Amino acid sequence: MSHYIVLVKQVPDVSQITDNAFDPKTGNLIRTRLPSVINELDAQALAFAHHMKTISGDTDGKVIALTMGPPMAAEVLRYSLGRCADTAVLLTDRALGGADTVATANPLAHATQKICTELLGGSNDYYIISGMQSVDGDTAQVPAQMAEELNIPCVPYATEAHYKNGQFTFTRIISGGSQQVQPLSKPAIVTIAKYEHPLFASFARTRKGNQMDLIQWGADDVKATAVGVTGSKTRVIRVFPPGKTTRKCQQVESTKELAKIIVTNLAQNSDPKDTGAEQSPDYILPKKRADKLDRRYEGTVKEMNDFNLLAEKLKELNITDIAEVNEKAKEKILADKSISFHKKTLDDMLNGLALSKPEYSGEVWVMAEHAENNINDATFELIGKARELADSLCTVVGVVLVGDQVKSMAGDLIAAGAGKVYLIEDSVLKNFDPHSYRTAVCDVFNKYQPQIVLYGATPQGRVLAPMVSYRVGCGLTADCTGLDIRDSSRKGQIAILMQTRPALGGNIMATICTKDSSCQMATARPGVMKRLEADANRKGQMIEHSIELTESDLSLTIISTEKGQGNVNFDSGVIISGGKGMQNQETFNRLLSSLCGSIRNQLDVTVEQGATRTAVEQGFAERIHQVGQTGTAVGPKLYVAIGISGAIQHMIGVANTECIIAINTDPNAPIFKQCDYYIVGNAEQVVPELAETIKAG
Amino acid sequence: MQEYNNVSVLIVGAGPAGLATAITLKNQQPDLDIVVIDKAAGVGNHNLSGAVLEPGAIAKLMDPIDPDWTESDDAKGVLLSKVNKDDIMFLLGKKLAFPIEIVIKMAKAFKLGFGQMTHSGDYICSVSKLTTWLNKVAISLGVEVLYGFAAEEILWDAEEHIATGVKLVDQGLNKEGNPERGYLAGEVVNAKTIVIAEGCDGLLAEKFVKRAGLTRQAAQLYSIGVKELIKVTDEQYKKFGEDRVVHAMGYPIWTPAIGPGMFGGGIMYPMGDNHIAVGMIIGLDYKFCDFNPQDALTRFKGHKFVKQFIDGGIVTEAGAKMIPEGGLYAIPRCPKTETIGRSNVMLLGDSAGLVNMCKIKGMHNAIESGIAAANAIAESIDEPKGLARIYTLKLEQAGVLKEMATAKNFRQTVAKFGNLQGMPLSVLGGWLPKFNIEPDYKTLTTSKYRLKPSVKFDKDTFTAVAATEHREEEPCHLLIENETICRETCLGKFGAPCITFCPAGVYESVQGQPKAANPSNCLHCKTCQRKCPYDNIRWTVPEPNGGPKYKTM
Repeated sequence: MSHYIVLVKQVPDVSQITDNAFDPKTGNLIRTRLPSVINELDAQALAFAHHMKTISGDTDGKVIALTMGPPMAAEVLRYSLGRCADTAVLLTDRALGGADTVATANPLAHATQKICTELLGGSNDYYIISGMQSVDGDTAQVPAQMAEELNIPCVPYATEAHYKNGQFTFTRIISGGSQQVQPLSKPAIVTIAKYEHPLFASFARTRKGNQMDLIQWGADDVKATAVGVTGSKTRVIRVFPPGKTTRKCQQVESTKELAKIIVTNLAQNSDPKDTGAEQSPDYILPKKRADKLDRRYEGTVKEMNDFNLLAEKLKELNITDIAEVNEKAKEKILADKSISFHKKTLDDMLNGLALSKPEYSGEVWVMAEHAENNINDATFELIGKARELADSLCTVVGVVLVGDQVKSMAGDLIAAGAGKVYLIEDSVLKNFDPHSYRTAVCDVFNKYQPQIVLYGATPQGRVLAPMVSYRVGCGLTADCTGLDIRDSSRKGQIAILMQTRPALGGNIMATICTKDSSCQMATARPGVMKRLEADANRKGQMIEHSIELTESDLSLTIISTEKGQGNVNFDSGVIISGGKGMQNQETFNRLLSSLCGSIRNQLDVTVEQGATRTAVEQGFAERIHQVGQTGTAVGPKLYVAIGISGAIQHMIGVANTECIIAINTDPNAPIFKQCDYYIVGNAEQVVPELAETIKAG
Repeated sequence: MQEYNNVSVLIVGAGPAGLATAITLKNQQPDLDIVVIDKAAGVGNHNLSGAVLEPGAIAKLMDPIDPDWTESDDAKGVLLSKVNKDDIMFLLGKKLAFPIEIVIKMAKAFKLGFGQMTHSGDYICSVSKLTTWLNKVAISLGVEVLYGFAAEEILWDAEEHIATGVKLVDQGLNKEGNPERGYLAGEVVNAKTIVIAEGCDGLLAEKFVKRAGLTRQAAQLYSIGVKELIKVTDEQYKKFGEDRVVHAMGYPIWTPAIGPGMFGGGIMYPMGDNHIAVGMIIGLDYKFCDFNPQDALTRFKGHKFVKQFIDGGIVTEAGAKMIPEGGLYAIPRCPKTETIGRSNVMLLGDSAGLVNMCKIKGMHNAIESGIAAANAIAESIDEPKGLARIYTLKLEQAGVLKEMATAKNFRQTVAKFGNLQGMPLSVLGGWLPKFNIEPDYKTLTTSKYRLKPSVKFDKDTFTAVAATEHREEEPCHLLIENETICRETCLGKFGAPCITFCPAGVYESVQGQPKAANPSNCLHCKTCQRKCPYDNIRWTVPEPNGGPKYKTM
């Protein structure tokens, strides 16, 4: 008899973000202005658990909802009790506040162990079901880290559960397809990428749930070993509003006008791609700086200004060597009215100025990802970024290539900019299995101790990175769009990696750095970083790393893998995508083909069809056409989005596009604020007209 | 689990009436299990009104709970300010506006019916915010207020003449009406007594009226109110004033002699934080087949007098709702005992039609009816069959029915004689005989609204700021009884007016067939089932948690 522990999280309702929710002065989001709701994917996880219980036919299996948060988070437990949960556990404690994903996964993992002993009679026959990620954090790290803490299998990105002969199997999303898997042992964690079968609240359950006492535990009750700020491996340096989109967001009234825009846009030469990432000057290590007092590479503008001020003052006092600063000089500095910091700050700054040794040492690594003997684009982009970071740090780019008979791809990695390729080959590594891969990667990591490891924020990278980082005890930042080497001199840290990422559905940006770790790890969004031009003359070294692996290092049985049908060329100049708004497969195919055809024939460019995840799930298009976070990140010259609302998961997959055109009936569709041109109208009417107009020249 | 399906007091609808019942009753009988259900996803989401609220009723409700309630932050945040400047304007054409308070004041001095149309000293408030506050009070007393539960059917024992409970709506059916994965059949909630406080044209209320054999002396008449909340500049807001309300008659819905001749008017209320609510209320007995109440709102907003306060403003919220205007004669009653409700079921507030059309206000009566119902239950919960009788008596004692009587023929008189003759004639109020006025759907003609704006009203934005949505896969909750009529008769004769008048753009003609093409946009105003010229549309209960999400309406 299986039991189900469902992780639920209370999040701000980002779908209800209006201009009122932002502080007009700072541009920051005021979280209290947003209502709190259950994280949508967690609601789906609850339905998924209920479905598992239903298909197993075992009515005695318990569903236990677990959340960690402030006392108010009890609301999501009541929500769960009203639907299918039998018991609810609230993990709440001031000591748990301010936690990053490590300090969240750890107490949650310990809480599930306590649930197992106290509520499930010690049975190991249970599944931990969770949404793949939360809308506020967007990291997808917690479930994988829990799997690592508990040392149990993790089935990431599940979309369906099946039950046969007393066993559960799961369908899960992989890049460009789907896979049927079965965890090799129980308990196991299953994260839900999409399960849109709603679970409704029952009147009786809701009343019962509202009257029920919740089980409440604190950090000590569950014996968590990493909690709160102190247990976290990352810290947020600053939070800031995202830069105004560089998209034009122009409304177009007629299809004629739109056709004209398409024609002129395709005729123009490409501008250099604007990645949306912050452009910063390349970093120079302190010992290479001409001026010892030069601190222009601080992580925040405020610190940079403070240091500039101090440097000026020191120059005024004719001090060139920090060692010369005595108490008298400090008094003089502090006496200056333009300097507003305290003595303690001044001491910290002076200590910082004396530093020149970087905080970390070692190489800059990239985790390669490949399919069917091809390295994927995200890896090449990461190598480009890693080169830039490694050059600043005067070190080497190492790429870790894991798999079975993958040596032949090493050349491509070197041509793309890798200085070293760490090769781990084993037949056990033939397919991606979170456990065997993380075992291999941890092994090579421990031997060579790099200072930075970058992963692609792909379905694979987003599972592997949290497992590896948790196992080796390093902080990890998810889905970065900006990676820069900076100093935090006042804190005594030189040349650390500043990791910038969007959060809260892209409504705020946060810069994060690693703490209490030997290495800095990050996953980076595909399509954001720039790859280098491949150069076959580049030289590199291949280091073969051997490791003993057996079948027992696997955590999942792969029953079958389905790759999407046909060939898709996302390097096309034009990509035309459809979303849920296309209503059905027939409309989807008819409208997209007609527009693709007329643009291809008339304007002589390569055109490919894309689809949102919803459209794929609805069966309008094959998985291989999926564009977005769980699909492929694309960067065509022109992207036409038809009936696509503009969910963040989709839009980050098209960030690199030169020109985005949106067609939608809803004038408030979020995509209209993230595109260059848009037309409000019914696709059924607009698309055929547009195709005709283009065809007519 | 079964025991949780049994409740002593089931209140359907968490509006002012339902919550007033819950608060008063729980305060008197803390051990009684009282459950309020509402089809909205959250508190206040389906509550829309002007609104100005007479202070008497809310004081009567809150005084027993907390004598210092006026000092609480919640009360202060909801009851924004008292009306100090009460403008009643007559608009003539696009530019002229004449204050006519004097006429109303004189009428008041002579104790004439429409003299009640003054608002000085009333609170200006948003009913969504009011219910949010009342909800908090109810919960603090221990009332169970459950959002996201919609009642579909009343379980009426025709032999015993008693209701045994309600059945909730099925959830998880697909478009074709077949159960999908996760399907949850509507649960039965057994109740000793049922308080129906669903608001205007309540689904359960109308089913109950039929099942229990309640009758109305005159057909219920309705108005539709469409309203926008507009964020304006500091200067505009200051110029308008925080303690001022504007009620306007005339343009664009009525002008003497040349028409159009519709009943209703415009409103402007300050709602705090630089927001002004601008609305238009139109009697559904209008005759123009191409008329959309939002067109009148557009015209009203474009009038010079209104425009000065809102020009350049941003619409942050919008919504639509019907108002029951039939008055005393349209209250459904038991034909034998004249009770408002029957046996252990009581009809409250707008579900009963307790709107005073001379005052154009009903919220005070809704609250009064809630208090009356609570007092009735407190007195006689063990003999529930007598509840409707006691409730009706208490309404009488509270003066609600007397107040309704002063306005009993007002709306019908106007409907019969038009504004110019009807308004003065209504002075005769109670002396006039009861008219038989046709239901609203019969008044439509092929004539056109001559002030129709050239630009089509942007209904998409309207529904977007109303934040309305339904589960896309659920069955369409708007049923068309006979599609042939729509296609072959209505479309040709009237141009399928549902397409035009629906404020949410739910109806569309798809390949020549008018149909409810976008049910998920529905704002739950129910105008369609009252104005379809062939009485061909039935508004059924959608899955709960759908509909608008009003915050400051």
